[in-house]
Amino acid sequence: MHDPGQPGSVGLPAGMETADQAQDFVPAGLASLGIEADEIELAVMHAAHSMFWPPIRDLLSMDLGGLQAERDPDLSRAPEEEAE
Amino acid sequence: MRALDLSLRAQAAGIAAGEIDAAELLEATLARIDERNPAINAVVETFPERSREMLAAAPAGPLRGAPVVVKDEWPLPWRAQKFGSAQLPAPVQPVPAESGPYRALRDAGAVIVGVGNMHELGSGSTGNVSVYGAARNPWDVERCPGGSSSGPAAATAARLVAGAVGADGLGSVRFPAAYCGLTGLKPTFGRSAMAGHHMAATTSLIVSGPLCADAADCRLLGSALFGESIPAGDAAGLRIGVVRDAVSEDVAPEVRAACEEALEALRAETGGSVHEIELADLEAATLAALLIVNAEGLGGVTPELLNGLDPAVSPVNRGFVKYRMLLPAAAIAQAKRVRTLTRRRLAALFEEVDAIAWPTIPAAAPPLDSPLVELPSGTRTADQANVRGAALANLTGIPAVSVPVGLGEGGLPLALQLQGAWGADALLLDAAEALERANGRRWVEARPPLARAEAAEA
Repeated sequence: MHDPGQPGSVGLPAGMETADQAQDFVPAGLASLGIEADEIELAVMHAAHSMFWPPIRDLLSMDLGGLQAERDPDLSRAPEEEAE
Repeated sequence: MRALDLSLRAQAAGIAAGEIDAAELLEATLARIDERNPAINAVVETFPERSREMLAAAPAGPLRGAPVVVKDEWPLPWRAQKFGSAQLPAPVQPVPAESGPYRALRDAGAVIVGVGNMHELGSGSTGNVSVYGAARNPWDVERCPGGSSSGPAAATAARLVAGAVGADGLGSVRFPAAYCGLTGLKPTFGRSAMAGHHMAATTSLIVSGPLCADAADCRLLGSALFGESIPAGDAAGLRIGVVRDAVSEDVAPEVRAACEEALEALRAETGGSVHEIELADLEAATLAALLIVNAEGLGGVTPELLNGLDPAVSPVNRGFVKYRMLLPAAAIAQAKRVRTLTRRRLAALFEEVDAIAWPTIPAAAPPLDSPLVELPSGTRTADQANVRGAALANLTGIPAVSVPVGLGEGGLPLALQLQGAWGADALLLDAAEALERANGRRWVEARPPLARAEAAEA
């Protein structure tokens, strides 16, 4: 069964959160979109990735239950839904 | 005191009463920009003939004849904005136009005397990166003025003008207000003029806002941007909530001391109360704001556009605007859920308190050539440290005001931030004025060395 949340399920040893993965993500992502980058830009992107990716993973793993995002929220006002 | 050194409201009142000649004030302002601006690079362009035309046509509005600066984030009828960058990474490049802030200022009778510098692409809290070169802090020209509204803040602090218009998408009015010892209002989302901004139709975080010496001037300039009067009250019985979290705890000792002293003074002045409150998942809220603001800036951005990006855009921004293309859609969706969760939590909190208080900045302005700050948790970039205290208001739409509350050991300004419920812009300014009364207006009347000498001579 494929579980996209588990590295082991796609052939990587569980817990293999290596720097190589981060190093691969940026150039692979850029290549898939056809975006060019020089060495300095790549260095910036690696730094951004190392800063953003761990909290992004934390964010994705937050259990928000059945909470749905407001649709077209009116940000000038309090949310219409009952406060938590 | 010379008209140049008066408050914005005193300038406007003096002109309305016939006690100040608006044409003389305009010429004196332009001369002062020529004199002082080279040291701080706050104003990147003046247009004396256009300013004189604005004055000649100025209606009898609340700001008639008052000189102001506008951030390089909106077009003017004679000038396209550059957004502090050699190129805007957007499908359509800006052109000269009547922007919302321009119309608001014109209709109030104000005279735009210059365009304020800004951090390139609005992407930083320091103001040390710009196509125009770094803006400098009038309190110490080797220090960051804050960003991204660096020029409006530096221009106002150096008394080139008494008020300026900035923009705040992740603290960009509040950080430079704090670093430069000014009062800066981030209005409730949607209340202030935004038309003409390249993201006006798509952003859910960015607002225009005033930067002035004190809250009363912010009320006057903010009223022009709102298109309606921001009424004055007294903030009596203000219920202040404080969060014991990294935002308020992981700060330089001098910041913590100044903010705690200010909170006690504000409580006493308003006859109010201070309550410890909990606001969970602030780190997630900060990330959610970052993700949403970056995703919203991607409309129409293509790989081809990014591959052709002007090499004069700084390497950091060239790299980061490309990295934004890799942000996962699931994270953006989750960020929007976190926004809803946070808004609901705030709605509940604002039943219990009127304002949430914490330091605007965790440390005073860092050096221009090395914008790092020392915190109890260690050394951080100023951007990393600053955004934690600012993103909440942008993510949720609530208003916030930064108020000067002291000078640190290095003689640099420190600031307290107050955040209120949706639409509570007036109450926040009332609270800021109460704090000014409580400390004898000591910090809003403090002047940086660059502005101090001439004021003393006058």
